[in-house]
Amino acid sequence: MTLTAELRDILGHDRVLSEPLERWVYGIDSGVVRGDAELVAFPETTAEVASIVGLARHYRTPIVARGAGTGLAGGAVPTQPGLVVVLTKMNSVEIDEENATAWVGPGVINLDLSKQTEPLGYHFAPDPSSQSACTIGGNIANNSGGPHCLAEGSTVSHVLALEMVTADGDVVMLGGPAPDPVGLDLRGVVVGSEGTLGIITKALVRLTPNPPDVRTLLTAFASVEDAAATVSGIIARGVVPAALEMMDQRMTQAVERFVSAGFPTDAAAVLLAEVTGLSAAVEAEAAIVEEVAGQNNATTIRVAADEAERARLWLGRKSAFGAVAQAAPDYYLHDTVVPRTKLVETMTRVYEIADRYGIMMLNVFHAGDGNLHPLMAFDSEEEGMLDRVKEAARELVEICVDVGGSLSGEHGIGIEKRDLMKLVFNEADLDAQARVRESFDPDEMFNPDKILPAGSRCFDLGRPPLEGMWV
Amino acid sequence: MTSVRSALDGLPGQVDPIDGAPDADATVAPSSFEEIEAVLDAASEHHLRTLIWGGGSHQGYGGRLDPVVVLSTANLNRFVDFQPEDLTVTVEAGVLVEDLEAHLEQHGLTAALPETPGTATVGGVVAAGISGWRRARYGPTRERLLEVTLITGDGRKVRGGGRVVKNVTGFDLPRLATGSFGSLGLIGQVCLKLWPLPPAKATVMASDGDAALATAFRPQAVVEMGGSARVFLGGTPEEVEGQASAIGGEVVDGWNWPGELAGEVQWSLRVPPSKVRTAINEVNAKYEYQAALGVGEILIGGPDGDVQALRTWAESVGGALVLVAGPAELYERIDPWGTPPPALSLQKRIVQRFDPVRILNPGRLPGGL
Repeated sequence: MTLTAELRDILGHDRVLSEPLERWVYGIDSGVVRGDAELVAFPETTAEVASIVGLARHYRTPIVARGAGTGLAGGAVPTQPGLVVVLTKMNSVEIDEENATAWVGPGVINLDLSKQTEPLGYHFAPDPSSQSACTIGGNIANNSGGPHCLAEGSTVSHVLALEMVTADGDVVMLGGPAPDPVGLDLRGVVVGSEGTLGIITKALVRLTPNPPDVRTLLTAFASVEDAAATVSGIIARGVVPAALEMMDQRMTQAVERFVSAGFPTDAAAVLLAEVTGLSAAVEAEAAIVEEVAGQNNATTIRVAADEAERARLWLGRKSAFGAVAQAAPDYYLHDTVVPRTKLVETMTRVYEIADRYGIMMLNVFHAGDGNLHPLMAFDSEEEGMLDRVKEAARELVEICVDVGGSLSGEHGIGIEKRDLMKLVFNEADLDAQARVRESFDPDEMFNPDKILPAGSRCFDLGRPPLEGMWV
Repeated sequence: MTSVRSALDGLPGQVDPIDGAPDADATVAPSSFEEIEAVLDAASEHHLRTLIWGGGSHQGYGGRLDPVVVLSTANLNRFVDFQPEDLTVTVEAGVLVEDLEAHLEQHGLTAALPETPGTATVGGVVAAGISGWRRARYGPTRERLLEVTLITGDGRKVRGGGRVVKNVTGFDLPRLATGSFGSLGLIGQVCLKLWPLPPAKATVMASDGDAALATAFRPQAVVEMGGSARVFLGGTPEEVEGQASAIGGEVVDGWNWPGELAGEVQWSLRVPPSKVRTAINEVNAKYEYQAALGVGEILIGGPDGDVQALRTWAESVGGALVLVAGPAELYERIDPWGTPPPALSLQKRIVQRFDPVRILNPGRLPGGL
């Protein structure tokens, strides 16, 4: 027997892809790293996933779990010949209205969940720009964010429990529906682990009440500094808006050509602020946003007049990456975080890099969180361009780390930033992370070569445990 | 090889025994991470069971421990880095929650840690995974832990996370450390995410807690005790006033948090939010209680006898009944945690890799880990 034949025995012929043309697309994600999916399986149940893991273990084949493939860091890109397990067919949704939670399959599309819970007055708070395509399993793997994570937190704040198939092929439940499940918080460490600790087959997610009132404000500024000062100013006034998003001029121009969202294209920076809650609070907080923007020389302050205008503003924000496709054939989107107070300094240095390398750089980002998304638009056909882009990207990350920032706010490490981990963690730190990984998956069967640079597990235990020390 | 006695004598930071702590051969209060590394390295070498001691306020959680060394965090009490504009603060473990919150309040901020902390330290609250009542609004403490520095059982300093409010850079050690009861390492330093304190605060004394919870929009907390509820509101003055009159009941300015439960024995009953009413009906006739409506934690003062029926029910709905304080003999009769979590072998493997000799608070976690 072969792995392919045994998989087909379990899943049937059609749910296993082995022809090069069929499986080509499963070797890449939405980023710049390419790999090869040797074999692709589409389980529909937890039991099938457990059987697949058992077979993979038997054949010593690595497994890469995959959702919609919208990731940007190569997290779902295979690095070794092996099996890609696509979880998009596991898309059941069971809503528990009494507890404002839902059990969802990993393949449920993010926006579909919010659409299903909308009539009940709830939504799933994490809202990545890819939310109409990305899956909740992928959100969990990357601890995805989105504009509204400023006030609501990233995916990990919205996951209460996980059903997971372990490297041994066991099905375990991590976390639970009640507060503070006893023991170590394994649920918390599995979220954001990019498929390296197990395969998630079901998740209990928290639903967030839809706000009774909402105001979306468009403000524009003649300088990025003024826009950044407005961000800090709003938060210093004690307001944490539901979202606080910034776009630079190149980006607003690209977006306007693409979807006509109504952004002023002559401004150096546009800030989109959304405040939500009870009407009394929304009015007061919107007034503060207007006041602070005015103090910082805003050239435009406009409150979305109705739901249609609000939707158009958000469409503009979330279409940013699509809009870039009009500017250049390729783009490389980065994701780093800096302390909010370092936004201006970082942006200035980011533009310097772009100029020095002669690369078009556009910026659209979650300003409230200090989560930058510098985007380099280029033509990879141009001689030496790809190398320049990669060098510029590395410098950009170094700058962010230099001001006290981190490698990724919401896209994850994957392959893309794996070797940059040493910029933020020392040997002992990386070794500790490798110990976590080893506890779950000692043979590195799940998504090998991701997150941690080779050789991270560098310290060995010097002392044998004493017999009977385990009480 | 040094003898155990000389190893104990050589531990840095020796102090007098701490009031309330169990008897031990040595009590140390190191004042630097290097000293802690030295203590834990020696403890690992000589297999010295080490009890970590913060403010002593959550030592009732988990299995009892007969320590050789008590390691106090009292001298790890520095404010390391405060960035009000970034809404982050970094402090050492031994800083008192009360002192931290008082300092933050001067800047109009809060870490939303427990509101009546007593002697609790920041490190202790994180290690025990304890949250304040305001978790109803801001989520549990683990949501605010951005960065952690651990000194592992084998005496190595490791850092996880980072001092930024949003971060997916590697495995989430801060979350793993929250509620770990020191089993991975001594929590030496943490960076916390902060929230602005609302400009207006009020407490509404409501007769019907469930109705109040349904009426209020994302209140700071709704706590029911003895058949009536307190609704904690925060926001703009107009918002708080509007909410208070919609809920109905006597309104008190500011937040009037519940005091400590009386009695030596205390339990934390944890159930899904929809089961809180059933839980209250089970206990209200017999015991004092404080129930976090909409959250699912009910603190109970009292039962020192047969709790098996209540525990079985709690576990059947996906929750737990956890002993948080009581006399030593009670811990001999009743497992303080109840049924261990399903992935116990995974938990054990992680603990083994951070504390290979198993010297840090051994037996404190569920399942005897």
